[in-house]
Amino acid sequence: MSESPAINRGFGRVLVVLYAIFAIGATSRSALQLATRFDEAPVAYLLSAFAAIVYVIATVALARGNRTTSRVAFIAIAIEMAGVLIVGTISLIFPEYFPRASVWSTYGSGYLFIPLVLPFIGLWWLRKVAREEPTR
Amino acid sequence: MTGAFSTATIIVGLLIALWALVYLLLKRPVDRYLQAGTLLLTAMFVVLAIGGIVQMFGTNQDFARAEFVGYLLLSPLIPLGGWWWAKNDESRWGSGVIMVVGLVMPVLVVRIQQVWAGV
Repeated sequence: MSESPAINRGFGRVLVVLYAIFAIGATSRSALQLATRFDEAPVAYLLSAFAAIVYVIATVALARGNRTTSRVAFIAIAIEMAGVLIVGTISLIFPEYFPRASVWSTYGSGYLFIPLVLPFIGLWWLRKVAREEPTR
Repeated sequence: MTGAFSTATIIVGLLIALWALVYLLLKRPVDRYLQAGTLLLTAMFVVLAIGGIVQMFGTNQDFARAEFVGYLLLSPLIPLGGWWWAKNDESRWGSGVIMVVGLVMPVLVVRIQQVWAGV
């Protein structure tokens, strides 16, 4: 009973907080960047804004935790995983496009690589919950 | 921004993280004491925000002021939100939520201090 199999229960509570922190951080940082110094690094800053939107959607979907939002969370986290891998790789090959860091550049090294690890944990968790409750 | 009070916020954050880790390992849910600790941490960040903004207006030092104010105003929302999200959870993972909050807040203080110093 303590491990209730819904995505926003049990370990899912912690996952929501991790996503929420990145959602708040990425959104506020991105708003500031776009408003005050967009010209310095448009590619990095637009990617930061995109990352922020993905984190916000993932946070809300994970927190609500019903059947529809589980699917939304899955899609958002899959995009997040693709984003951090693609942006991370491009930022290493073409560092000139990233004179200022985005949250996903160099695989999130500026944030202790948490942006790289988080989508893997997220997808693992969604899969685990789906297996425990196949009828939902 | 680098005085005794900001050091105290770091220490209280780490102590709450440690306290919550013990609960997590003992499979204990959040109780009223850990809730009170989290709300104390929230209050400390409200004080830090007010103190930081007052200090900012008292100096001509050149640093990223908008970023500084952004960090200060948003930081109390994390322990407050964490408390709200953990308080009704009957599993040990409510304690896990508070542990994450307790670990993140000291990092934020260090970041705020870096912005203040112009890093």
